[in-house]
Amino acid sequence: MPLPRRLDWDWWDGLIPESAVLDDEAHVESSYQFLLDRSEPPYGVRVHRGASVHGLTSFDVGPKGVVTFGAFSVTNGTQFVCDEEITVGCCSMLGWNAVIMDSRRVPFDPVLRRALLERVPLSVPRRLLGEVETAPVRVGNNVWIGFDAIVMPGVTIGDGAVVGARSVVWNDVDSYSVVVGNPARVIRRLDAEERALVATPEGTLAYREALHPFAGAPFAPVRQVGQPVATATRNSATAVDECARSTRARPAAP
Amino acid sequence: MTETAATWTDGRLPANVQVGAGTVISGPDAFKRFRTHRDPGLVIGENCTMDLTHFSFQPDGEVSIGDWCVFASVVLMCERQITIGNHVAIGWNTYVMDADFHPLAPVQRLADVFAISPMGVAAGLQRPPVPAAPVVIEDDVWIGPGCMVFKGVRVGAGSFVEPGSVLTNSVPPRSRVVGNPAQIVGTV
Repeated sequence: MPLPRRLDWDWWDGLIPESAVLDDEAHVESSYQFLLDRSEPPYGVRVHRGASVHGLTSFDVGPKGVVTFGAFSVTNGTQFVCDEEITVGCCSMLGWNAVIMDSRRVPFDPVLRRALLERVPLSVPRRLLGEVETAPVRVGNNVWIGFDAIVMPGVTIGDGAVVGARSVVWNDVDSYSVVVGNPARVIRRLDAEERALVATPEGTLAYREALHPFAGAPFAPVRQVGQPVATATRNSATAVDECARSTRARPAAP
Repeated sequence: MTETAATWTDGRLPANVQVGAGTVISGPDAFKRFRTHRDPGLVIGENCTMDLTHFSFQPDGEVSIGDWCVFASVVLMCERQITIGNHVAIGWNTYVMDADFHPLAPVQRLADVFAISPMGVAAGLQRPPVPAAPVVIEDDVWIGPGCMVFKGVRVGAGSFVEPGSVLTNSVPPRSRVVGNPAQIVGTV
């Protein structure tokens, strides 16, 4: 896979880092989005085909972090703060200035935090670079996250869920539910009829693969998120589960 | 404190800013709205990292920041006084403000709108007074990304303010704070 090191259309005079794997048919607006990226090969950021990453999106990925951005998903200005794993499925939309974090970047204990802060002036780059608690964040397929929302470490957002603008999501979000508020709570769930518009009993992906304009082309869906494996779709079970597999195939840190 | 020891990456420091040794301030807009006439208007201690932080001060504003602080894309909006201790870390897109910057009373607010209009500025209209109350952030506080700290709030030492919290009231030392409006959900 050819890796574009310098983007023809880039407004920022920079390079796409080696650890960012961008599919040919993915659109990444600028190398500026990787200014805070400290991830390491084989990859720390993976953007799948048909996905677009616009504007001031920021991949703030630590050496052990892996951000996977699924096919046909789109964002403008999301801040990914990743020290372990952030996975976004297919066809999800992430609003402007949303923050998705699997790490707070600081310890909970003030004494440890003080020690970390005193290391900052000696750090290269000069930032909070401590070993802190992390918990993977998984955003499903067909999810819509509103402007300025924050997704906290350890949260799983199920397929088809909607997160209102400025919400702060602390708990897992069920598939096809709508959550709003700070802290976020469920205000609505799609009933069976509404759900049938976007998902078949076999699941969202089966429906979308049959209907989407690129049907027949390899789609590389992320596994369904927020549902037990037993109810995973026929298609997603047989489709190339590329994102998840690549994540697992990553060698353990020394 | 030695002013010259600071590493300043984008242009000259205003004359009424004191910065300790080992402190770094970055960002082209850090002092774009730094309008304070106080001297010093801003005192920053040693070994701080002020990354893309905006110091947006009104003419009477004064802010002091202790040692070993790390701010990333923070907006400090000061009408009168903001005091920040040592070892304070504040995350991206958090706003700390000690005033509402316009009067709350409807009639006064209307007067303010006229006063700040181009015609009001040209005519030298006096702005009505704006209520302000000092903000104090004590030592060892962490404030996550996307938070707001409003006027009159004192954040107790060691507190842990979770992302997205909106602080309208003071919190005692070692509080863990979540939500809008912020609730104390535990201790550190």
